Amino acid sequence: MDFSYSPQEEGFRTDLRAWLADALPPGWGETVFEPEDEDERAMFRLAWEKKLHAGGWSGINWPVEYGGRGATLVERAIFAEEMARVGAPEGLNIIGHNLAGSTILRHGTEAQKQYFLPRILSSEDVWCQGFSEPNAGSDLASVRTRAERRGDTFIVNGQKIWTSFAQYSQWCFALVRTDPDAPKHKGLSFLLIDMKSPGISIRPLRQISGECEFNETFFDDVEVPVDNIVGDINDGWRIAMTTLAYERGPEDALGRQIRFSQELEKLIDTVAATPRGDAMLIEDPIVRQKLARSVTEVEVMRLNAVRTFSKYLNGDDRGPDASVIKLYWSHAAQNMYEAAMDILGPTAPIAAPDPLSAGGGRFQLSYLQSKAFTIYSGSSEIQRNIIGERMLGLPR
Amino acid sequence: MNFGFNEEQKSLGDTVAALLADFPALTGPDPAQARDPAVWQALADLGLFALLVPEAHGGVGLTLVDVALAIEALGAGLAPPIAASTMIATDIIVREGTAAQQASLLPRIATGELRIALAMLENGQGYDPDAVQTVMGGNGVTGSKILVPDADIADLLLVLSRVDGGVGLVLVARDARGVSIRHHADIDPSSGLCEVTLDGAALMDDALVGHAGSGDVVPRLMDAAAIVYAGMAMGMAARMLDAAVDYAKTRVQFGQPIGAFQSIKHRCADMAVAVEAGRSAAYYAFWTAAENDPDRSRSASMAKAYCGEVARDVCNETVQIHGGMGFTWELGLHRFLRRAKVLEHGFGNHVWHYERIMAETLAAQAAGDKAQAA
Repeated sequence: MDFSYSPQEEGFRTDLRAWLADALPPGWGETVFEPEDEDERAMFRLAWEKKLHAGGWSGINWPVEYGGRGATLVERAIFAEEMARVGAPEGLNIIGHNLAGSTILRHGTEAQKQYFLPRILSSEDVWCQGFSEPNAGSDLASVRTRAERRGDTFIVNGQKIWTSFAQYSQWCFALVRTDPDAPKHKGLSFLLIDMKSPGISIRPLRQISGECEFNETFFDDVEVPVDNIVGDINDGWRIAMTTLAYERGPEDALGRQIRFSQELEKLIDTVAATPRGDAMLIEDPIVRQKLARSVTEVEVMRLNAVRTFSKYLNGDDRGPDASVIKLYWSHAAQNMYEAAMDILGPTAPIAAPDPLSAGGGRFQLSYLQSKAFTIYSGSSEIQRNIIGERMLGLPR
Repeated sequence: MNFGFNEEQKSLGDTVAALLADFPALTGPDPAQARDPAVWQALADLGLFALLVPEAHGGVGLTLVDVALAIEALGAGLAPPIAASTMIATDIIVREGTAAQQASLLPRIATGELRIALAMLENGQGYDPDAVQTVMGGNGVTGSKILVPDADIADLLLVLSRVDGGVGLVLVARDARGVSIRHHADIDPSSGLCEVTLDGAALMDDALVGHAGSGDVVPRLMDAAAIVYAGMAMGMAARMLDAAVDYAKTRVQFGQPIGAFQSIKHRCADMAVAVEAGRSAAYYAFWTAAENDPDRSRSASMAKAYCGEVARDVCNETVQIHGGMGFTWELGLHRFLRRAKVLEHGFGNHVWHYERIMAETLAAQAAGDKAQAA
């Protein structure tokens, strides 16, 4: 066990810090913040992602031949730490990088890798995920969106739901039914669909936070070239499981942990500056207990991810440990925002742009957003089934 | 960077676990039967107490990371607390002891000749080491210590005491003049918890470990002990999780193993997540202590607070999953419940450590703001 870094790893960190010092807008995080408007914010994040790419900081641990930096998972962890340290913006093409890219890298054809991966890293193509349907949520294998093969194309008909960022996406990967007569897990295929194809329409869905990040996506006789299948026909379930392992895995968790640790630091600053009676709120022992518990849980989130990175580096396969990571961070983050609302006390219900809202209303918004954590990329109940059955060997 | 254990470290854990398994009474239902003195000798013969002693003093010169899994095994096997106490004391003497103390004590620790108990808490004083009233003066040490594990079988007592206006650690022989020992009535009779009354207790020659009032000796002791206790708590939690899962696979109700019911399966899954999370916290803290990293105190407090809560919760759930059997004396789950409670309250409970984490976090955040402003 060794948490120290090699000279090469330290060099990576130094280079990144030097680059970041020039790349972030002056006053970033102090006087300059992300735009309030949802669409403007999305474009701001996209621009940041493109800047990272132009600087050579996209696809840290992806192979050089597909546009990546060819660095290690450890350097990817360092990258995450440094982004946290400066409070860097998030990206927009997270699904492209973490899910589409990772899946294509693992299961795609050489032609698919050559075409798609560099475009993902440059965020020329933003991606969305077509898995869930109105009647296929936790029971994902019961998707009904049909893809019928006619010559060199699939004709896709059906509806996907909760498609985050579909409105900004050039591409969508989708789990579709190619054999309606086979058992439900055995008749599925994994398709890459151009969002400009005729027959695709999207309708925004409003979330409990009031935002419209996700959508319903409709496919009406959409033509998809057969070359855009990943894996074999009717082998889509296996491919989708890879996608889910990345969606729930340590890379994703570490990226999120950045944001949670930033928010927690902001929460502590806010609480430290908030008077309560004759004292400051930060002096309240109950408040301190709640904050310290979240400080611990957010740190454990990081340690869980780094520990799992090490398992992979030491040659272990990706398995149900991804579910352990996801179940942990999702509940720990929800606890943190629940604690934030508790701690802020009487003014907690006041939202932005009311001048009396605490922290500019950010904690309340994050609290509402956090309700999604234990639902998306497999609800907690599904994660517990996976851990119980595949890790602990309990009967189905 | 690597967050994994090597083969030697894993094998050390397995060896200690296998040795303790040879003493079934350790985890048997009756805590009063669980204080077999042969266990100490067996662990000493194995060389456990030489591991942290530098080679120059007849030991192996390993670090706390090297012994982390062995410490988990001590927890899982409900080993006599004097084993862990002696290892914690060894760490302090290696890090903070004078050359003379190291030369006289470490070779005897390595062979298992010296058992060292840790005398910290006092009635009415809470967990804070700075609050102790016991005082070292010209006539020896005077004060009263409570909840000292295995004090009655120790050779030496490492006593937290006021020294020259500060707080330090002093060594007192258990059979010295002015030392009297009384067993507590307590939740875990296998921990050998004692009240130790020091009435001008005679000091050993060269009794003061490190420097009182200044230096790192007391914080290092609190951190090392917190980390070792956290490690033992995780060993117990992992063992209880295994017990719960095994039972859920075999116990049949309503025509199927109860582990097929989501109400049970999901509890087991939550426990598994808690055990993994606790281990992440504990292993990282072992590393910070081994390296004396600046993050040592914060990570030690995180490990102690968090792992204490995990062990408590997993022990509670395991009893629940075993139903009526879980509540029986014979099955012996209560032994883990009892020991977990002792570990939870030793060297600061979660409330004390969460407060310490907050103080460390605010100090670090203020230092960061200052650095940014400059």
